[in-house]
Amino acid sequence: MSADQSLLLIGIGGAGSAMARGVKRAFGEELNFVTVDTDASTGGDDGRFVLLGGERLSGRGAGGDIAMAKVAAEDSIGALDEYLEGVRMAVVVTALGGGTGSAATLVALKHLASLGITSIVFASTPFPFEGEERQRNTTSMQAMVEEAANASFIIPLGSLIAGEDNMERALARAVDTIASGVTLFWRMLEKPGYIRFDAERLRRFISGASRGRFATAAAAGERRATAVAEAIKSSPLVSRLKGQVRSAVVGILAGDDLRLSEVGEIADSIRSGIGSVTSFEVATVNDEATFSGRIAVVAMLFESSTDEAAAGGKTARRGKGAVRGKSRILGVGPAGRGRFTNSEPTIYKGEDLDIPTFVRQNITLEF
Amino acid sequence: MSAIIAALEIGSSRTVLAIGETQQDGRLKVICHSAIPSSGVRKSQIVDLDQVKTSILSVLRESEKKQLEAGSKITLGNAFLVVSGTHVHTSPLCGTTAVARQKVTQEEINEVQRSLHSFSLPKNRELLDVVERGYELDGMDEISDPKGMSGSVLKLHAILLDADANRIQDARTAADGAKLEIRDPLFAATCAADAVLEEYERQNGALVLDCGGGTTGYAVYINGRLAAAGTIGIGGDHVTNDITHAFQTTWAQAEAIKVTQASAMPTVLPGESARVQMPGDSPLMESRTVSRRALNTVVNARLRELLTILRDKLEELELMHRLHAGTVLVGGGARMREFPALIAQMLGTTARTGRPIHVDGLDDTPDSERLAAISGALLYAQRTYEEKSFFDIIRRVFK
Repeated sequence: MSADQSLLLIGIGGAGSAMARGVKRAFGEELNFVTVDTDASTGGDDGRFVLLGGERLSGRGAGGDIAMAKVAAEDSIGALDEYLEGVRMAVVVTALGGGTGSAATLVALKHLASLGITSIVFASTPFPFEGEERQRNTTSMQAMVEEAANASFIIPLGSLIAGEDNMERALARAVDTIASGVTLFWRMLEKPGYIRFDAERLRRFISGASRGRFATAAAAGERRATAVAEAIKSSPLVSRLKGQVRSAVVGILAGDDLRLSEVGEIADSIRSGIGSVTSFEVATVNDEATFSGRIAVVAMLFESSTDEAAAGGKTARRGKGAVRGKSRILGVGPAGRGRFTNSEPTIYKGEDLDIPTFVRQNITLEF
Repeated sequence: MSAIIAALEIGSSRTVLAIGETQQDGRLKVICHSAIPSSGVRKSQIVDLDQVKTSILSVLRESEKKQLEAGSKITLGNAFLVVSGTHVHTSPLCGTTAVARQKVTQEEINEVQRSLHSFSLPKNRELLDVVERGYELDGMDEISDPKGMSGSVLKLHAILLDADANRIQDARTAADGAKLEIRDPLFAATCAADAVLEEYERQNGALVLDCGGGTTGYAVYINGRLAAAGTIGIGGDHVTNDITHAFQTTWAQAEAIKVTQASAMPTVLPGESARVQMPGDSPLMESRTVSRRALNTVVNARLRELLTILRDKLEELELMHRLHAGTVLVGGGARMREFPALIAQMLGTTARTGRPIHVDGLDDTPDSERLAAISGALLYAQRTYEEKSFFDIIRRVFK
């Protein structure tokens, strides 16, 4: 089966590239992907690798230096274009905390935005014991990454480990969790289902969305629906968000034996667990070969914007403030064209009239 | 025997078929009209021939069903085509001739008309109409009949309406597939004006705004004649798309809320609830409400933009200050709440909804403003038929 060329997985930095390859392995089929790093040793034997700052760094990596990694990325980010032809949405996996993963991610996101490509970022943040400097770098880079991406899922590694884990097991568990989560997410976008949630629908859904949280769970057996819903609700990435979620997408991946009552139970349970939301959507993926007898759930929860939170969740503004940047990015890109995405643009005095007027004119909406 | 005539409109939102018949008093009666939701049409242009063919077949079946219910059966072989979209262009046209003996003769009027029609269109354009605007004699314009008047140079001004030949051919191909022959293509906005304008409105200056799903057509009448016409690439679908984007909802929900709740003015009127219930679309989707003010703001922004573009175009042609009879709204968008108030604010004219007044048979049709263009097409078809019949009689007499 050939990969969907409009969807591209980009692994950035050493850890991001490892996660991207993990996703590719777990997906088990053709998948449109590329890895990007300043360290030449990251490039695998698949040939889908972009080396950043070749002459400047000679492929030896940025040594954790954010400034050096940023310059290297700006030098060579154009080399990524070879992989971006026909791409409409890029899923970026990376690890924040210093070096290439942080700086190159930001440069890459800006490059994607300039080409009108929608970006979704899955980024891990360092363990607490990795030092204050890495935490500080992460905090500052995280804000910029969230601003530059159309949607971002920041995953603190510390929230994924149990206290008794040794270091090796903790790291492996964290990377596996992220990779398996992204794999499920990828399946949700690419595989057919009774309630389809493809990349185009996701692009529309995340318009105006801010920071997101992401959780996955899987279960088999008689009470599998109850089990996955409870696992999602109790996930540390989700449970602390109760009452702050603005919109949610729940992807249910299963084999041919998925029952409508199970879909309803999972949806109802998760919805009641996250509190009142303005938009809640459910998608299903029917993949008997992968999920025979099992149910896997991918939950993407988008937090309230800063303005919403300040107003106690009662008032949201669009077009100005926190969400304004998102609207602007989406407005000039294809995402805001909605139904007219594949139509010839209606240009009048240099403006594309197919993009919503309130987006182009930065009009504040009093929700 | 009176002629049975038919017209077909393949719009972005609806495919409509109407059948008319001339009554004994000479007025046209719409004896059957059917509409089904369109598919395969975006921004008034066909993007999927098979889907459009299916739509035409469906509307033909729907029409036959209605006729059978009414106890009649008409087999349609052809229909006039109502055309809209930004591919329809208008341009000024002028014919000129010298007046030989100071007073204009009939031969010189014939000559200036021949001169007017001696243009040729590029291969990719198809003629819709040449609408005469009036004669000009030595700089004095808007003359309706120059015969016998004194002067040396006679001109005849007109507006040329033409369309992308490929877009018309697409409609013909789709209709052919449904065993329906397409006759003349006609511009929707001028057709609508023929059906809805009173004579005094044409004389005093009126704007007809045909608010379709994909685009908005307009036609301006001054001194009884067409003064300007055109299309703006914004339609009701843009309003729906904006609502979809603002509230992250489905197209069906956005369309429903637009039709039933939205207003062209941003204010929430006294007695209206501050929040609007979003209609259910799927049992798995959250039932929710949205802010009425936000909804109206989204719609208002789009319609203000539409009217700003229109106002700029009419100001460029120095027509804005001549619309003494106001604006007449037709098409699906005519039903938007508070649209007349926004027009008054933006264009400075009164506004009314235009129902087809020059045809019979639609009195009991609640949304007859949506049938304005197709009714006008039937009126054109009736005139064409009568002219042909007249010449047939003349030919028979001199045989």
